[in-house]
Amino acid sequence: MKAKSIFTILATLMATMLILVACAQTEATPEVTKAPEVEPTTAPTEEEEEETCLIIGALHGGPITDAGYNQAMHESIMEIKANIPCVEIIEAENVPEEAGATTTMENMIQQGAEMIIATAFNHQYPALTLAGQNPDVIFEHAGGWEMSENFANFFGEPPDTWYIMGVAAGLMTETDKLGFVAAFPLGWTNTFINAYSLGAQSVNPDVETIVAFTFGWGDSAKEADATNSLINQGVDVITMHVDSPATVLGTAESRGAYTIGFQSVEAQQFAPEYWISGIGYTLGGKLTWLASTVIDGSWTPIFLRCGIADGCMEMAPFGKNVPQDVQDQVLQVKADVEAGDIVVFTGPVVDQDGNVVVADGEVLSVDLMSSVDWFVKGVTGSPK
Amino acid sequence: MSLLSILGVFSSAIFSGTSLLYTTLGETIHQRSGIVNLGLEGIMLISASAGFATTSVTGNPYLGVIVAMVTGGIVNMILGFLVITRRANQLASGLALMFFGFGVSAFIGKPYVGAKIIPLPRITLPGLDNLPLLYSSLLKFDILIYMAVPLAFLVWWLLFRTRWGLGLRAVGESADTAFASGRNPFLIRYQALFLGGMLAGLGAAHLSIAYTMSWSEYMTAGRGFIAVALVIFSKWHPIRAIVGALLFSGAVAFQLLLQSSGVQISPFLLDTIPYILTLIVLIAWGGTRKHAAPASLGRIYQGSE
Repeated sequence: MKAKSIFTILATLMATMLILVACAQTEATPEVTKAPEVEPTTAPTEEEEEETCLIIGALHGGPITDAGYNQAMHESIMEIKANIPCVEIIEAENVPEEAGATTTMENMIQQGAEMIIATAFNHQYPALTLAGQNPDVIFEHAGGWEMSENFANFFGEPPDTWYIMGVAAGLMTETDKLGFVAAFPLGWTNTFINAYSLGAQSVNPDVETIVAFTFGWGDSAKEADATNSLINQGVDVITMHVDSPATVLGTAESRGAYTIGFQSVEAQQFAPEYWISGIGYTLGGKLTWLASTVIDGSWTPIFLRCGIADGCMEMAPFGKNVPQDVQDQVLQVKADVEAGDIVVFTGPVVDQDGNVVVADGEVLSVDLMSSVDWFVKGVTGSPK
Repeated sequence: MSLLSILGVFSSAIFSGTSLLYTTLGETIHQRSGIVNLGLEGIMLISASAGFATTSVTGNPYLGVIVAMVTGGIVNMILGFLVITRRANQLASGLALMFFGFGVSAFIGKPYVGAKIIPLPRITLPGLDNLPLLYSSLLKFDILIYMAVPLAFLVWWLLFRTRWGLGLRAVGESADTAFASGRNPFLIRYQALFLGGMLAGLGAAHLSIAYTMSWSEYMTAGRGFIAVALVIFSKWHPIRAIVGALLFSGAVAFQLLLQSSGVQISPFLLDTIPYILTLIVLIAWGGTRKHAAPASLGRIYQGSE
């Protein structure tokens, strides 16, 4: 029958379409897209005609519009282009898995990229492997620990800024309970929680920090559940370490709890009423410097760690309900941290069970911060 | 643990259980008509992104809910064409639909990641509005939550008290017999898929427009599959689905409460509580003849000519 064969063709087409679109999830999404011409302040025509001095391939684990980590990293990378107009940037977002990251980076190298910036936590080893195979390409990865001849790591130093945020939270809380919604009990996350807690305790010795893990960087429903659960236990200041601040801050706002943002300084929009402050990555300056060393050939593998004093982290503006004396006190602590008068993990630091984890007179080294598996005294929750 | 934190577990169970309940009701209708729909995850994602995008563009959350609902129904028609008209394997088609949903929803939602929307308004029941904000905000629910339980009863009434429902269940038990008694199994299964898809769309709308107020890729995080499990858990019965959805999401809220109340158990283990609980209930209830799966579940109706 004629009709029947048409249906067969239709069905085959539909099945093919389904499969193709399904594949698109893993193959087409990391499709390398050229970065849009940004920053109207730069790139007058004469500079555009200038020869490309360096092609940078940048890849992110999530969408660059998430008002969170990925957006902060994207904006930092775009700043390189603004500062050095002859740089060309090839950017790819939404590259969640390692396999996708490898193909994306290979693709970028084939397009002439001589520097790769990988911002996702789990892209460290794919990048390191490729670094071995492509000795002429420089690899920079955010927030890892490995190093080779052409592979290095860079990161903002959030512990200092978390300490400052802790001070703000400790001054604002009325119930003496702070809530922290986190994705996984990873070393860095535990360090952030500890620094935040120490900051709060420095101004308010009775303060308790309660932690809830969601086990996903983007499981928004569980983030909402966790936020509500913390608030129901009397928490009145909420902060978070998940990819996007949208759900946690929005939920806290609807419950009338104060919030502190992280990842991107843009987070404020989700909590107009109860916003205290927040911190975000602003790595543009240091990344520009790294790119310039690649251009003039002086690049060497270093662990680039830079804090709020170096401009790698920035504090968001205070919310409208933060009293002036709290603002002054927080800014004073910020000045002390920047001047080096306050060093966050100076011993003695005591963990939840009362064991001394940083001895008197010693300071927790940055290398150890990535593998912290304890919480300081005053934190409620299990770190492993 | 204070009164507030225990009340909070109930509140969280209701909030995050609503999307599960709608989706479970949808899948109950599918399965009662003899179709296993493993594509729910994809349908939910497409509906959630379409609804969120609509809300973000128009500023009207109700319009977003309607778009999400209709989208769910329409996307399910793809599955209908494959498994009803083309008689393709249900499990394989469902999984293909799921992956299809991953891609399409990421595409639809991409410009709206991190967008701020006007969520579905939350309404306080009269008499509760003079409680302190901390308490009253717990008991402030949106319209989709108030509708969920009545809708479960409506689905029950449709399935067990109407001629249409009788026909649908007959198709699920034995499509040939249903055909012999004058029903059209093809049409009934299409209707079941459309209705079930709309319910899944409602669940998805609640997730993105009302509860989390955000869109992020793969935000359903397995809820479509939990709904399939809950259908079995509730033994293909819409009223028991209410219990199932509440119990599961209550367990999620409870483990979060345990985590943050200083219990020294690894949070990795606590996170598995809801799944272990589901397993235990499935084992304890066991299978009985009375509550068995529809006899033709997963079978393809070849037509009776």
